[in-house]
Amino acid sequence: MKKDMNTHEILQKYGKDAENLLALLHELQNTHEQHYLSAENLAAAAAHMGLTEGYVYGVASFYTMFSLKPRGRHIVRVCQSPPCHLMGSTDVARELIKVLGVSFGETTADGQFSLEMSSCLGVCGVAPAMMVDDEVYGNLSASRVHEIIEDLRRVK
Amino acid sequence: MNKRLDVLICGGGACISSHSHELKKSLLRAIEDKGLTEEINVVETGCMGPCELGPVMVVYPDGSFYINLKEEDAPRIVEEHFLKGRPVHELLWLAPEARKIVEQKKQIPFFEKQKKIVLANCGRIDPDNIEEYIGQRGYEALGTVLTTMKPQEVADAVERSGLRGRGGAGFPTGTKWKMALQNAADQKYLLCNADEGDPGAFMDRAVLEGDPHTVIEGMAIGGYAIGASKGYVYVRAEYPLAIERLTVAIKQARAYGMLGDNIFETGFKFDLAVRIGAGAFVCGEETALIASVEGKRGQPRPKPPFPAQKGLWGKPTIINNVETLATIRHIFNNGVDWFASIGTEKSKGTKVFALSGKVVNSGLVEVPMGITLGELVFDIGGGIPNGKAFKAVQTGGPSGGCIPAKFLNTPIDYESLKQLGSIMGSGGLIVLDEDSCMVNMAKYFLEFSLEESCGQCVPCRVGLKHMHSLLEKITNGQGTMEDLEKLESLAYTVRASSLCGLGQAAPNPVISTLKYFKHEYIEHIQNKKCSPGVCAALYNAPCENACPANVDAAAYISYMGDGKLMEAYFKHMEHNPFPIVCARVCPAFCEKKCARGKYDQEIAIREVKRLFADWAIDQGMGFTPPKKPKKERVAVIGAGPAGLACAFYLTRLGYLPVVFEALPVAGGMMKVGIPDYRLPKDKLEAEISVIERAGVEIRLGAPVDSIEALMAQGFQAVFVGTGAHQAQPLSIDGSELPGVISGIDFLRKVNLGETFDVGADVVVVGGGSTAMDAARTAKRLGAHNVRIVYRRTRTEMPAQLDEVVDAEEEGIEMDFLANPLRVVEANGKVSAIRCIKTELGDFDDSGRRRPVPVSGSEYNIRANLIIPCLGQKLSLGLTGGKLNLDRRGHIAVDPLSGATNLPGVFAGGDAINPSTVIESVAQGRLAASHIDKFFGYEGKLFDRARQPVVVAYDEEAYLKTLPRHLPHLERAESRITKMAMEVNRGLSLEEAIEEARRCLHCDRNQPAALKPAAASAPRIEDML
Amino acid sequence: MKLEDLRKIREKTEKEMVLRDGKARVRVVVGMGTSGIAAGARDTMKALLDEIAKRELKDVIVSQAGERGLSSSEPVVTVFEEGKPSVVYGNVTIDIARKIVAEHLVNGNPVSDSVIEVNG
Repeated sequence: MKKDMNTHEILQKYGKDAENLLALLHELQNTHEQHYLSAENLAAAAAHMGLTEGYVYGVASFYTMFSLKPRGRHIVRVCQSPPCHLMGSTDVARELIKVLGVSFGETTADGQFSLEMSSCLGVCGVAPAMMVDDEVYGNLSASRVHEIIEDLRRVK
Repeated sequence: MNKRLDVLICGGGACISSHSHELKKSLLRAIEDKGLTEEINVVETGCMGPCELGPVMVVYPDGSFYINLKEEDAPRIVEEHFLKGRPVHELLWLAPEARKIVEQKKQIPFFEKQKKIVLANCGRIDPDNIEEYIGQRGYEALGTVLTTMKPQEVADAVERSGLRGRGGAGFPTGTKWKMALQNAADQKYLLCNADEGDPGAFMDRAVLEGDPHTVIEGMAIGGYAIGASKGYVYVRAEYPLAIERLTVAIKQARAYGMLGDNIFETGFKFDLAVRIGAGAFVCGEETALIASVEGKRGQPRPKPPFPAQKGLWGKPTIINNVETLATIRHIFNNGVDWFASIGTEKSKGTKVFALSGKVVNSGLVEVPMGITLGELVFDIGGGIPNGKAFKAVQTGGPSGGCIPAKFLNTPIDYESLKQLGSIMGSGGLIVLDEDSCMVNMAKYFLEFSLEESCGQCVPCRVGLKHMHSLLEKITNGQGTMEDLEKLESLAYTVRASSLCGLGQAAPNPVISTLKYFKHEYIEHIQNKKCSPGVCAALYNAPCENACPANVDAAAYISYMGDGKLMEAYFKHMEHNPFPIVCARVCPAFCEKKCARGKYDQEIAIREVKRLFADWAIDQGMGFTPPKKPKKERVAVIGAGPAGLACAFYLTRLGYLPVVFEALPVAGGMMKVGIPDYRLPKDKLEAEISVIERAGVEIRLGAPVDSIEALMAQGFQAVFVGTGAHQAQPLSIDGSELPGVISGIDFLRKVNLGETFDVGADVVVVGGGSTAMDAARTAKRLGAHNVRIVYRRTRTEMPAQLDEVVDAEEEGIEMDFLANPLRVVEANGKVSAIRCIKTELGDFDDSGRRRPVPVSGSEYNIRANLIIPCLGQKLSLGLTGGKLNLDRRGHIAVDPLSGATNLPGVFAGGDAINPSTVIESVAQGRLAASHIDKFFGYEGKLFDRARQPVVVAYDEEAYLKTLPRHLPHLERAESRITKMAMEVNRGLSLEEAIEEARRCLHCDRNQPAALKPAAASAPRIEDML
Repeated sequence: MKLEDLRKIREKTEKEMVLRDGKARVRVVVGMGTSGIAAGARDTMKALLDEIAKRELKDVIVSQAGERGLSSSEPVVTVFEEGKPSVVYGNVTIDIARKIVAEHLVNGNPVSDSVIEVNG
């Protein structure tokens, strides 16, 4: 992800039609250090598309994947679909709470990880699963979760 | 379609050189000669491995592995094995390697029963390379359509093919296209709905990732048919790889002229753009999806106007699902008639299902419409893992419902699923086993819909919330029967009055579980119990919850970890006064749910129990009679487990009950049904004497004529625990001959000390515990050949696995898949039993495959004694006409109290439902408590607040992989020589303590301990 | 592009599916759908490429594909060889991937323990 791209450059990639709003918000969020849509982001998007800030806020707050508060460098999302639940996502969740030391909806003190729930990740055949940023991990066990997080901590 | 046998002939190079082709021809000829062509599927496979043994052949479902076959062996195999069901022994390969190959190839039904059209390219071609797609006839359909057909003809063809939308509702695709075609407009749009939000469905992702061009081609054809020049694919953001592959594919399609201004030089103009969702389930609804594509909040709006009239930016818009679009090109490549020939009358073509949950082969499967649910789950899915029982499938995600075992024979299409109260949906199929709680499942889906509700309309926003709070109450054990009624009526209100499809369908999981699993709701409400052990608020530990009598295994195992035998014993006695018996004969429901099993192996709870049980008897542990007995007099009829348990707990409540027993011995089935080698008589007697010393008077040889007679003697309450000592008859010709005796009668005679000449050849019919006991007893009485005939396979046997294994070790032979036809007589005596082979056919109500006789497969087994063990029934000597009976002829009781229709008369044990010792104990104890209440007291038994046991040993040391301790067994050769030699010698005390220390102490896991502070999305934590 | 051109590409590709540029003997396809990747297909792919490079096999092509469906057997690897049935492997760990190269690709003996399907 191109973290160095500034807001202005991103805006220029998108047309001024409202239909591009979701895509623009995605990119603004993805390129933000803290993976969220800041008030400045929302204002910039509104100005670029000629929409009111209230409208843009309304759209951003409607969709669960947009965050309006700062998050960690890595977003850890545990699939909460029934197949994952049946196959033991509870153990995965418990381990993550233990390893990261935060609860769901929280970010670690060092700003490295945010722990979230996700709607179905669509890998039910390898349940239970979780997604870290854009990478999906399946057939999880408590020990596998531990390994994955430790690996991510090492690469920092 | 479903053939009886699958025969796999190896077509590897080595086998071909050893003439496997000739073998195959000869085999096919022999099969035809016997008229079995319709029943047997012969396929040639790739190399199976053991080339030096070729030609080789494997037969399923039995998995027989033939080697070194010659052409001339074929007729014999067909005659003996395929027709009569007896594999030709001397041609089989029995080495362990054979097992391994058989197991591997077993997965073949996963592929064989599928028909891959939509998924044909997935996993085969490189999705990032358009030329590989073109190599698979890619874009040929688009070229043909554009150069040879008019838009109207295209829509007509799709309509005639019978293709219906794969997204859920099943609206005919061609009809939809025609509607848009007829709406003239300067601009129209085609949208692809790839917002695959149903949990448990992932076929759209697999298609977009594995074969994106097939969707692009389908869209271009659709665009041409409806007159649209622009299309959008709306993909959910959870699928980054699908977005990436699709984006690459669109670029390539443009570069090759498959999208753009002048496609195939026909002047047709069509282009595509990708739109990414942002996590809103409601956007799968078409009007919400349109709003989202426009860059707005994805809220649905009322219809009409329908999108086909006024859709994206007010223009006519058609929305198709990914799988639907991926099917289009095949209709034009292979013809309308070809497509219409697949599937059922109203549902054409194939459907992709996502199998997940408790199933061996999970993943995507593509099958012709009309395949049965059972074939999907058991043949393709490979059944339920770990030998657990199938409970239901959930289809259609949060908008769908569940389908229980009795509908496994249902052919799957849009209509049949709807009729059962579920829907096809997008094809998610979640398999649930005995460990799944249906109430929790319904709550789970409702929670999903509640969170995804956009909040616009009141029924959905408020109604679902109210339903959810009722479900919360019920799963927390605080629900009432009124709550259940309220839940049901609310469900129908929300269904009828919500604005969009999401809201209307949201109550479906509740409605369908109420339809098929209402008893589970009632159990949560009335018994405050969740049998599968899912609803955490309703139990302390899975082992305790699984026990019918709720014996607190977590507590006594903890005591045993510190070597506290006395504490363990008295803890056990609080719920079950038969630790000696249950340590030896209980099916151990507790062990099956033991959480340690998820790490390495379940704790050997029964073996640990045996140590303190035997010790307590040796030490003379026991109870004293009540010091100031209550004045009310209670009689118990029958000194079996139910009656004695009831009597024992009556003493703990302050009574001095009298037990009337018709037989000259106490113990009921424990005494006359279970042989000595499993339960030594002196041990049983010692355990019964503990009960007597606690204040119970047992009158042996004292049959009771009527309840009235007892009442006349001054008894004010009666517990009926008369058991079910009459056998279900073997209803075949000749079963009245001497030499045919039921298992119950046989075991009773032997256990009461009668001498019994079993002769040389004994056949036992049945697969339960009684069958094993009868067979093993006959062996010990000197029978040479003991053979069990069972109509299903070893897997379905109701007997406990260790009993079956012990019997096999003792040389008992077993004929599976066989059913008796008649008893063969010679000189007025039994000389043989004529049987017929069976095969497993469709599914019965319990979800097990029904044995169906194979014609022409009759055979005789020599026998001088035949012992049918087909279950027990109640003999009605006592009860007369006064006690109400249930449909099956057992005494009807209120399951919450054990009360019968007569005031002061309670019942339990086999007399109300033939089952196990522990279930009888639970019923006896329950009745004791309610007899106390009947007299106006509190009925409280050991009613102390429960506290997890604190242990002193180093728990950390046992949190590594440690195998379960296995009990010491007597060798088979010696144990069959003596009836009284106990087969299982148990563990040593040291081993038992070590075993107990493996306990994970689930009872300590307070659900609240790990609850997170944030309340944003607390679903999984709720279940911690 | 006309239908005629499409047909030419198709004919060319049909041959290439097995033998790209006429140089390859074997084509190894790794299922790289999300399920595959989630089960470790990236490591499997790396191991295959590494082992092939180590053994300097010049006549083997490795490519990716989507998922075949049997998620419980992911990662899945298919070996296509001209004139032989294609062999599908399931649960291909790093070790099994290396074994497939050493035994199947080099010596021509399929690793039968891991075979889940044989076609053709």
